Amino acid sequence: MSESTGADLSFTFNGDCYEGAPGQSIAAALMASGVRELRTTRFHKEPRLIFCGIGVCFDCVVVVNGVANQRACLVEINQGDEIVSSK
Amino acid sequence: MIAVIGAGPAGLAAAMTVAQNNEQVVVIDSAPRPGGQYWRHLRKVEGYKSGRSDKYFRALEESKKIIYIRGAQIWSAVQSENAITLNYLAAGIESSITVAKVILATGAHDRALPFTGWERPGVMTPGAAQALLKGHNVIAGQKILITGTGPFLLPVAVGLAAAGAQVAGIIEAHSPLRWLRSPVALLLNPQKSIELIYYIRKIYQYKLKVSFNRAVIAYDGRAASIATVDTELRIKETVSKIDCDVIAAGWGFTPDVTLGGILGCQQVVDRDGTVIFAVDRDQRSSATNIWIAGEATGIGGADLALVEGRIAALSALGLAIPARLRLARYRLQKFATALQVSYPVGNGWQGWIALESKICRCEEVSLGEICASVSELSANDARTSKLFTRAGMGMCQGRICSRNVSEIIAKQTQCEVTEQERIGYSNRPISAPISLGALANGIK
Repeated sequence: MSESTGADLSFTFNGDCYEGAPGQSIAAALMASGVRELRTTRFHKEPRLIFCGIGVCFDCVVVVNGVANQRACLVEINQGDEIVSSK
Repeated sequence: MIAVIGAGPAGLAAAMTVAQNNEQVVVIDSAPRPGGQYWRHLRKVEGYKSGRSDKYFRALEESKKIIYIRGAQIWSAVQSENAITLNYLAAGIESSITVAKVILATGAHDRALPFTGWERPGVMTPGAAQALLKGHNVIAGQKILITGTGPFLLPVAVGLAAAGAQVAGIIEAHSPLRWLRSPVALLLNPQKSIELIYYIRKIYQYKLKVSFNRAVIAYDGRAASIATVDTELRIKETVSKIDCDVIAAGWGFTPDVTLGGILGCQQVVDRDGTVIFAVDRDQRSSATNIWIAGEATGIGGADLALVEGRIAALSALGLAIPARLRLARYRLQKFATALQVSYPVGNGWQGWIALESKICRCEEVSLGEICASVSELSANDARTSKLFTRAGMGMCQGRICSRNVSEIIAKQTQCEVTEQERIGYSNRPISAPISLGALANGIK
């Protein structure tokens, strides 16, 4: 279990650089940097952030290093991750 | 060997009891860290008795009798003559384990009710706000409004305030006077009153504003609209607006019954409409060699889950169950019943929602579309409506909306939701999405 609160991992989200701490989820690291939109919905193109926060609702799905439909609230960030919004 | 599914309070108590009796136990949990949804501390978070999880976490790390498989999502299970095989996916690899006995402690997630604007970024469950704080050290927003019903709102609000968050208020739908209906439950559980006093003191310490008999009925992205509501949650009048960028709204909990359902464990509908497992006085399910403990046998909180976990483990080991454990469970079950009486979730929320608001978040199905499936396409039950609208057929497998969709259809068709329908929408043939590729990799 990491006690670190310092941001020492870097990753990209939709091409922009962000930082996060080991053990943080993608959603947590992005929200800590003020991100308020993880994806847009398929039909109405509405912005979505997290909802259940524990992997039940799939509202926060993103593409992680080319793998689609990953839950940003569960998947922990790794150094150099390339994350893009699901469309 | 005994397998415990879930590493929340019930699962940890069960595993530790098995290990203390010198038997081997394997704990399989979907999260990367133990504790379930309630005990998920990355660091110390302010809250009543927040240190009591420590001994369980230590046992998980140190006991030679406990094998702990983390980050493993069980997606199916098969029972044969004398064994139960659990198929799970961990780090993208499909594996399986075969055991003699299983203790299910699969927990619950927040129940969400829709309101106008609940699709907007910033609206989340209290569980989400708490997971961000406890599990990831992140405060969900600049100004957080906590709303819904039930005592769980208090630790969420106090934890956030203690961490430095600006809490815009606690909007509780019911009156605390409803507790007067359950004097016996209160007398049997003096420790719960002490816990309540702890939170009341914290509410004063952090100057949190608490309102009763009110609910958030709409959010425009900047401010929440607050209305007074009756006990059925019907709007009386809109009274104010509160600026916030996060609304954490929770309406009790929905147990995860999928895995037990796949294994054929008998389910029943609790008095508040929640689908739970039927267990005997030893926490034994209707299926051979399967015990169930914690929220999946009735929402009751961590204290009850701990007791049930211990009883389930003792029974699975074939050991005698001390009378004091049974008494503790009786007391806490009385308290759980009092919670249902004090914080009912009526159907008045259906009057909060604009026709264009989404009910199914995954498939973006609006209230208007669901109503039209009844009025124009003659759907006369939820199943038919779902086929027309796709409500409840998205990635969450209906976990968030299916109960709400059924309640809406019932109102539109002037029927009651049947017990069969409730059990139907609570179960799914596979307990977690799995790709065919991952399956094929496991077979290789």
